[in-house]
Amino acid sequence: MSGGQNLPVAEQAGNPRVGEHGALSCGRTLSFSRETRADFDRLLGRYPTKQAALLPTLWLAQREWGWISREAVDYVATLLELAPAFVWGVVTFYTMYNRAPVGKHLIQVCTSISCHLNGAEEVFHECKKRLGGLKTGEVSSDGKFTVVEVECLAQCDKAPAVMVNDDDYFVITKDKLDAFLGGLK
Amino acid sequence: MAKVTVDGRVVEVPNDANALEACRAAGVDVPHFCYHPRLSIVGQCRMCMVEVEGVPKIQASCTVPVRDGMVIKASTEKALAARNATMEFLLINHPLDCPICDQAGECKLQDNAFAAGLPVSRTSEPRRQFPGYDRTPIGPHVIADMTRCIQCTRCIRFCEEITETGELTFIERGGHTIVWTHEGKALDNDLSACAADVCPVGALTTRDFRFRKRVWWLDKTRSVCDGCEIGCNISIEHRDRIVYRFLPRVAPAVNDFWMCDYGRFRSEELNRQDFLKPEIRVAGGDAERRQTNWGEALDAVKAAIEKDPSKVRVIGSAFLTTEEAWLLAALCKDSLKVGSPEFTVDIGPKRRIRNKVDGWIYGSEAAPNSRGCEAAGLTRTSSLSSSSPAVLYISDASFSEKCKDPAFVAGLRQASVLIVHARTRNALTDAADIVLPVAPLSGKEGTFVNAKGLVQRIDTAIVSPPVVRTDLEVLLNLGARWNAFDTQWTARDVFEKMQASVAGYAGLAWDSDALVGNPPSISPAAAYDVLGLERDPGVEVFSRPSVTAPDRLP
Repeated sequence: MSGGQNLPVAEQAGNPRVGEHGALSCGRTLSFSRETRADFDRLLGRYPTKQAALLPTLWLAQREWGWISREAVDYVATLLELAPAFVWGVVTFYTMYNRAPVGKHLIQVCTSISCHLNGAEEVFHECKKRLGGLKTGEVSSDGKFTVVEVECLAQCDKAPAVMVNDDDYFVITKDKLDAFLGGLK
Repeated sequence: MAKVTVDGRVVEVPNDANALEACRAAGVDVPHFCYHPRLSIVGQCRMCMVEVEGVPKIQASCTVPVRDGMVIKASTEKALAARNATMEFLLINHPLDCPICDQAGECKLQDNAFAAGLPVSRTSEPRRQFPGYDRTPIGPHVIADMTRCIQCTRCIRFCEEITETGELTFIERGGHTIVWTHEGKALDNDLSACAADVCPVGALTTRDFRFRKRVWWLDKTRSVCDGCEIGCNISIEHRDRIVYRFLPRVAPAVNDFWMCDYGRFRSEELNRQDFLKPEIRVAGGDAERRQTNWGEALDAVKAAIEKDPSKVRVIGSAFLTTEEAWLLAALCKDSLKVGSPEFTVDIGPKRRIRNKVDGWIYGSEAAPNSRGCEAAGLTRTSSLSSSSPAVLYISDASFSEKCKDPAFVAGLRQASVLIVHARTRNALTDAADIVLPVAPLSGKEGTFVNAKGLVQRIDTAIVSPPVVRTDLEVLLNLGARWNAFDTQWTARDVFEKMQASVAGYAGLAWDSDALVGNPPSISPAAAYDVLGLERDPGVEVFSRPSVTAPDRLP
């Protein structure tokens, strides 16, 4: 046998760990707040079928609870009259739905080509180190930070780029990291 | 209808057919995985590649609707090379575990690799694995092994479109894709084992059949499920007098490609045979029954009946074939002069199956042939009368669930002589004076009339052990004691004799397709019956294309 080591896929870098194909439970029954419910109702009017509104509805769920739990999947499935399994399939297909709780600031470091050439790998590892040795995807003990690696943020001219929640930050080099992290409250 | 040319052969196909179906109609076998005649078209597997004249790029034939005058080239070098490439791609991550895989022998991946793949592998990298998602029960009847999955989505579409329960989905994407359920849910619906049937590979297999028999050893016999009145066409799969499994046989007007889990897993029950010899209790009552031979047993039956024929009561069963019911009715009317036998049927639980003609059809009677029995002259009653005759002759000791209930049996036991046909032991057989051992469904031959009024034939899968007889043989031998029947009659002879007098049977031929139904296919996953276009589907043909596949990809 030549080629790579015979590592099970689940243990190779970047793949979901064992057990992560299944949805985590948040331990309580969920339903949208009145405000989100109003947004949801507005949303439905824009789509020909309920199924078509699945992606934005999941965004609403993520805005409301920060991540998509098993209960959130069941709730969204009920709202849109879909099978929970179908909703879960969609959640797992897209990378930007969080399948586990994340910190208040979800720091997404781009490591695609331009950022990589400008030292993004170092920024990524340094970022985790300075936040108390966080692992990728882990929530810091104060609940404030989660650091993940993402693909291209389409800000190649301002590399290395970092996205925190929905906001872009540009030219975050290693020297600027302390100021950048300090600026996140 | 559209006229389509496939590899130079012209066929006419319906306008809503697709190119793959046109190819099959023309007798050109296009390998495929995701296409299934009763599921939506997804073009997922990219295996059924053909060239279509006027279209520059090679096409997945299942996604191409036919049009009049279309010219399909299914066996060109370009098409074969494309299939070759798809096959090689699918095999990159498929484990080479055919020797321990239950699907081996009825696996489309094996078949297509043999027919359309490269003879050698060009990869030496380790195969993809899914720890925790292999060899794992995914529901009460199905075991999933995601390392074998080729992502054809047949099972997902089956759960969405046929059962409409939507338990299964794709999780993750790209090379990490697996088919699984939502967290904490099971693949549990009344047709769930059909998901294993539609799986073209060994990713979903049934738990009951797992590791029990290599499929190529199995003999396949046409039969009809006796679980309820719907009468799903089945193939009894057996070897060395053991029934290993039931598979659905394609019957577009009844069960289509499917059968319910309840019916399917009745198969194991057929292997039970509690009575291997006639048993008889000598007059007097309390003595133990002793084993005897057929001659003595049937003589005893005759003697009991002839003592006082006016006090004989006969109870039939909706598990009898129409031929057996007719013999029983004829015997009562002409020889015993006791009036027509009664029978009763258990109602519920409700079973259902889906076909393309009727949508869902339902069955609430828990026996296969109440209509046939009525037509043959048996009288249906909702509850058996409580008169206590001198002799009670019951032609099926398991005619109702109530036969397990001692209180119910005590009512029947009022008779001074209790005679039963029996295969399995229950409260009724314990109480009986004479037990005549009979064969299960797998040993019988005859016809059933289902809920839709269709007459369907069952064939003998397993000849019973020497002393055990079918109900038909028992009745013939008993009738012969009054010179009513010839013991050499077969089910077919009886069928032909009764045709004139049994409603719905006139004009039917024993060997007609209508009675016999489709043959068991090599596998239900490979069963087609597409739009009635099928060639003789008796054997799945691997037509090796006349153009030889290139050894190496260009």
